[in-house]
Amino acid sequence: MANGCIELQNVSKSFRKGAAHDTLRDLIGSGFRRLTGRARPSDESAFAALHDVTFDTKPGEAVGLIGANGAGKSTALKLISRIMRPDSGVISTRGRLTALIEIGAGFHGDLTGRENIYMNASVLGMRKPEIDAKLDAIVAFSGVEAFLDTPVKRYSSGMQARLGFSVAAHVDPDVLLVDEVLSVGDVLFRQRCVDHMRRLVDNGTSLLFVTHHLEQMQAFCSRAVVLDHGRLVYDGNTTDAVARYIAALKNDEPSKSFDASKQAARVTGMVFRDGTNSETLTTHAHDALDVDVHFQLQRDTPDLVVEVDVRRDVGSRLANFSSIRDGVTFQAQAGLGHATLRLPALPLLGGQYFFRAILRDPNSGQMIADSDYRYSLFVEDNDKGTGILCLPHSWQAMSVEPETARPPRKQEALAGSGT
Amino acid sequence: MTTSVQTHQHPLVELWNYRHLLVSLTVRELRIRYKQSMLGIGWAICVPLSMMLIFTFVFTRAVDVVAAMKIDIPYALFAYTGLVPWAFFAAGMTSAVNSLVNNRSLVTKVYFPREVLPMSAIGSAFIDFLVASVVLIGLIAYFHVFTEWQFAPTPAMLFLPIVVGVQIMFMTGLALMLSMANLFYRDVRQVFTVVLQLWMFATNVVYPLKPDDSLIGRVVSLNPMTPIIGAYRDCVVYGRLPETGPFLYAVLVSVALLAFGWTCFQHASYKFAERI
Repeated sequence: MANGCIELQNVSKSFRKGAAHDTLRDLIGSGFRRLTGRARPSDESAFAALHDVTFDTKPGEAVGLIGANGAGKSTALKLISRIMRPDSGVISTRGRLTALIEIGAGFHGDLTGRENIYMNASVLGMRKPEIDAKLDAIVAFSGVEAFLDTPVKRYSSGMQARLGFSVAAHVDPDVLLVDEVLSVGDVLFRQRCVDHMRRLVDNGTSLLFVTHHLEQMQAFCSRAVVLDHGRLVYDGNTTDAVARYIAALKNDEPSKSFDASKQAARVTGMVFRDGTNSETLTTHAHDALDVDVHFQLQRDTPDLVVEVDVRRDVGSRLANFSSIRDGVTFQAQAGLGHATLRLPALPLLGGQYFFRAILRDPNSGQMIADSDYRYSLFVEDNDKGTGILCLPHSWQAMSVEPETARPPRKQEALAGSGT
Repeated sequence: MTTSVQTHQHPLVELWNYRHLLVSLTVRELRIRYKQSMLGIGWAICVPLSMMLIFTFVFTRAVDVVAAMKIDIPYALFAYTGLVPWAFFAAGMTSAVNSLVNNRSLVTKVYFPREVLPMSAIGSAFIDFLVASVVLIGLIAYFHVFTEWQFAPTPAMLFLPIVVGVQIMFMTGLALMLSMANLFYRDVRQVFTVVLQLWMFATNVVYPLKPDDSLIGRVVSLNPMTPIIGAYRDCVVYGRLPETGPFLYAVLVSVALLAFGWTCFQHASYKFAERI
């Protein structure tokens, strides 16, 4: 039974942006500048890849590590696997640690599949008797039996990746770090990898899983840690973690400069207003909601069509409101304007929802502006229902014991809090 | 990919735990070097052998300087006993200096004791050295049968493993420092290529070296490779123990260099992944 765990305490790591000396001439040059007092300030080029990050994983727990590119996920894995050392803070792990940061580390194209298995496995810290014992299982898992004595350079990239993953899968780690490597191979092989990782976790392996494939992560991990610009912004259940991650992505998106010569229109903002008509970013299930779509137009646009899409997480679209389908168009003039979508009772359960606004030209039907799912709204509901929709409904009790004299009692309950 | 047991072990214990990786990397280097080559490991013999033939031709036929060298053994034997350990040194060091940089993907993606890389470079050169040494037996037999030079086995032969051990220690110490320096400053390998050429002529590889009292002579006499190569000849060809003073100097330099190189390497190795 594996019994591994990871613990990070106030871990920070920063990198220099590229002022490192690569040749002696640079070193001499910078030494000279320092002597003559023209040295550049040294912290100008430092950036924090991780800042004061604390979290842990327990035996038999699969934890997702998510965040935008550059959030510090890979740095965290490299620190945990001791490839790099933190500037401050403490990292401790218990048990045999395997980090799948690169598939097939140490592979060489001129070596055969069999030779590369031995090479890769010893890079992963396996001993020769151990490799001998597991060779058959590794080969069977990878499905490249027929090409075992063929140089790996003649393998397809998928075959190489499968061989690499198969070796790593047979290390029997107590702690497994996986960095975005499950995108390899075909669907069946991916499934086999996920099943294998599931078995490891069930046997007590502590898994830390970095991925951009959020649905895979949600299916696999019970808990997730969200990094944003090197800081830990959330540690908890995966659904909320995904919401935080996407929210972080939105906030990060640079406001695209509006090139008037190329774009006819743009969405400048979206404002949510609750039943009391005040602006808000959170609302309650069953409350009334007004959605103001603000836009800017280059020229007068009679019969402007406005659409609003709603979705949750990265899932599929929950609703599409199109003004033209409802028989409404807007007589919009050049400059700033807005249109309001009114929802009398929001039929959504608690969670983070994402909104997108689209402007269309009614004649061509062409999209002239698209905000993407940049705007988010948090819905609170007190009865903690699971799912997405909160539909008005009622229950009726059937008569329980027909032979008793008591008259059947009718019971009616309305679900939800806001109805 | 990395595997490690993260209870911070002593570096030497950890290196011992990764001994299989050292063997694998050594074998990998040899396999890669001789894959798709008809002669294969035969090149380990051909390279020093042809060097020996070239020097023998140049020094005895083209310009006859061998007589002036006052060598009391056949020149071919003299040259070969110098060229084989020198080829080990030159090939091992050249590949060790580049070992960290050439395995960038391992250094940045996997945890293992980094000293395994320069050590495996030396390891694969050592296998070539062993193969090339086999030819020496044939060469000795040839000169024993066909010339008046007679081979006499003595217990001094038993000293040979110590000589090999000293050379490996010297090379490892130097390789640890130079591979690390090359990781931070890529100029090192260029400089080393030039230095290696010069170094060969400052060593008793193809001619005996009797440094005089001039400044250059003093610098040359500091070269620990001279007593090491001299010791090979003493043990194998002359059947005597190497001269104590110079050999002891080489031992001290090798041990000191290894200890110093090892310490520096351990202190800097955590920076390798981000600086490579």
